[in-house]
Amino acid sequence: MGQGRTERLHLGFLAAVELEGRGHVGGLLVTNHLGRPLEFQCTTPVKPNRTQELLYGPTLRAYLLGELLGGTLVERTSVKADLLLVEDDDQLGVAETTDVPVARLLTDDDPVEPSETVRLGNQLLVPASGVDAAALEKLAGPLPAEASLAEPFDRVREALRETMRAAA
Amino acid sequence: MDVPTRSIDVDLSRPDGAVVDLAVTTAVYASGLNGALRRPTRFDTSPTPLLGKPGFVPAWKPYFPKPKVVGLVFPPGVEFLPPKEEKEDREKPELKSIRPPGSEDETDESGSRPKKRPTRIAPPPDALSLEDRLFYLLQPPLQSWLQGQELVMPFEPFPYQYEGIAWMFSQKSALLADEMGLGKTMQTITAVRLLLRSGQVRSILLVAPKPLIPNWQREFALWAPELPITTLEGDTKRRKMIWSMPGLPILLANYELVVRDFQNLDEEDRPKFDLVVLDEAQRIKNRDSLTSETIRDIGRKRSWALTGTPIENRPEELASLYEYMGVVPPRGTPDLRQLRRLSEVYVLRRTKNLVMTDLPPRLDRDEYLELNPAQQHAYEQAEKDGVIHLNELGESISVQHVFELVLRLKQITNFDPLTGQSAKLDRLAADMEEIAASGGKAILFSQWTKCIDWIKKEMDERVPDCGTLVYHGGVPTRKREPILSQFKEDPSSNLLLMSYGTGAVGLNLQFAGYVFLFDRWWNPAVEDQAINRAHRIGATASQIIVSKFICKNTIEERIDRVLAQKRELFEAVMGDPDDSNATLSMNASEIFGLFDMKAPAAKGTKSIGPKAPDREAA
Repeated sequence: MGQGRTERLHLGFLAAVELEGRGHVGGLLVTNHLGRPLEFQCTTPVKPNRTQELLYGPTLRAYLLGELLGGTLVERTSVKADLLLVEDDDQLGVAETTDVPVARLLTDDDPVEPSETVRLGNQLLVPASGVDAAALEKLAGPLPAEASLAEPFDRVREALRETMRAAA
Repeated sequence: MDVPTRSIDVDLSRPDGAVVDLAVTTAVYASGLNGALRRPTRFDTSPTPLLGKPGFVPAWKPYFPKPKVVGLVFPPGVEFLPPKEEKEDREKPELKSIRPPGSEDETDESGSRPKKRPTRIAPPPDALSLEDRLFYLLQPPLQSWLQGQELVMPFEPFPYQYEGIAWMFSQKSALLADEMGLGKTMQTITAVRLLLRSGQVRSILLVAPKPLIPNWQREFALWAPELPITTLEGDTKRRKMIWSMPGLPILLANYELVVRDFQNLDEEDRPKFDLVVLDEAQRIKNRDSLTSETIRDIGRKRSWALTGTPIENRPEELASLYEYMGVVPPRGTPDLRQLRRLSEVYVLRRTKNLVMTDLPPRLDRDEYLELNPAQQHAYEQAEKDGVIHLNELGESISVQHVFELVLRLKQITNFDPLTGQSAKLDRLAADMEEIAASGGKAILFSQWTKCIDWIKKEMDERVPDCGTLVYHGGVPTRKREPILSQFKEDPSSNLLLMSYGTGAVGLNLQFAGYVFLFDRWWNPAVEDQAINRAHRIGATASQIIVSKFICKNTIEERIDRVLAQKRELFEAVMGDPDDSNATLSMNASEIFGLFDMKAPAAKGTKSIGPKAPDREAA
């Protein structure tokens, strides 16, 4: 990529919150490499019915969080992210809906082997299947060493809760 | 076909002996079929449909309707070129902690590294739309915003300062009333910096008293070196040009020029601002003053006020500030309860007690001194003559007469004008010898510039080594900054004499470890402002020693008692909800009371008020 690419890194933070009895809501925050917010989108709650629960079976959550909520949010966001980060394996399915590389943030108690991870700044990521790990590592350029990639997820969750409070 | 027959004979005897023939004859076909079956069999046909495909299960495709999506796009921020110095620095500037050693800090479990609680920006209570609230909630924690990521800070702010910055960032109307020395300037500059960066404001007018303009320039250069600052100065033509210049992010102006220029500018030429900040906002405490009216007329979207003394004399002064902030209607007169309720939303005030761990201790010493013989004689004579004179005035006596006598007596306690004897100067000279010898720095405050000049002359003779400097209203403005620089940097300059009016507000003299109050001001809030020139954030001395000179058995002792009471009243007004009628002004009764006199009935509540702290009393 050109020079512009190395100076710019838009990060998408995709998170979902489960509301008791009301299903899931998803939120996507796109920030610049310094964590400054550029765009935020969130969905209305989605609650599967009984038939959907029976027929999707164990794949329901992954479909809901990854493809349905994640895919819709990615499609609707006008500021395009260069990298989509998720916290939950079930959200990695968003990769099916977009060309943007997707990776999951590695947590301290994650059992994943180091060989499966990619370092971005000072944090380890688990790339979604099919994501080029080497290309992912190259994105780290403009990211400050002390940047926290976990913190923006807190913001997304807080914003989702605020949205639901407002809608209630 | 022959059908075999079979008879069944039953012989039953009747009671009468007669025999009844009951023989029944049946014929059974050999096939065993009943004769009825001999009829030809009829066969009928009817159509019966075959089973088709099951059609009662509804069709289902794996389909979820797409959820609705709502959101917001953040406005682009204003980017500034980094200052030249930064380009020269190859390494990124590191944050420096200005926390004094030994102060308590949160640590992680291992006890090795300080644990930092991120400061999040909360939406203000008056932000009602979801979009507004999300805007604040989604901002990064201040620590990550400021600590070396996007905006480099020369020093790391204290936790309460982070909170103040976050609060100001989200407030459209804000009164930052932190006690003096807690860093209002830095918090304001940083909040302004973040607002500019996040695209929330693009034009800011900062109004400050004239002597403080250089201080703001310095602080901006320190805390936000990338922000271009324009100072309103020069002749009328030049100023008019500055007012009409578009795209100035920050305009720094003094109150006098703002008032003068806005009166001369046509309505349509008056610029509008996204944010107006008033430093030392007690300047508009009188809502009828020209300054207040002019400031309120400035078009703006956000209104901030800074003052360490939100209530200098009376709680009603807050109403004027609130009117500027747009939280009470024009001419509105909220009662004390309403003021308190507004304060909860629009005022942020922290005292040093709250953040004492961040500051060196302040030790107050009341120095009770015996007057020297000549002073004693002059004092007694003046008091005797004065009281006699007051009594002679009879019904025509006014508080002003008493006030004049108070001033005269106070001047004699400073020094005897005939002989030059002064118990205070004797003590000061003794203390300064010691302070100068140890390389310490001291600030002295007096009410009178004449007294300051006299102290300077005497100290130059008695303790020439302490390099006494003078900073008061008589010193030309252009010479003031060099004096402050010399005091700070010259190790042989150990004493700075200041007037309450010129030196009490805004200046940062945190390297001084000693403060002398040579005489007492009428209002404890102003005294505190003076003391806090030294006792403020960044203080380098291990402790700040405040010496208040009080001559025994004089008017000063009596004034000191009144001041102590006023101090208690101030605390009550700011904190105690039951103290509904507290007023800080010294009224006529109190002035008369200094001489055990009673004020004439009609004048009992007349307020003489303190003089404005930025005016010379001499």
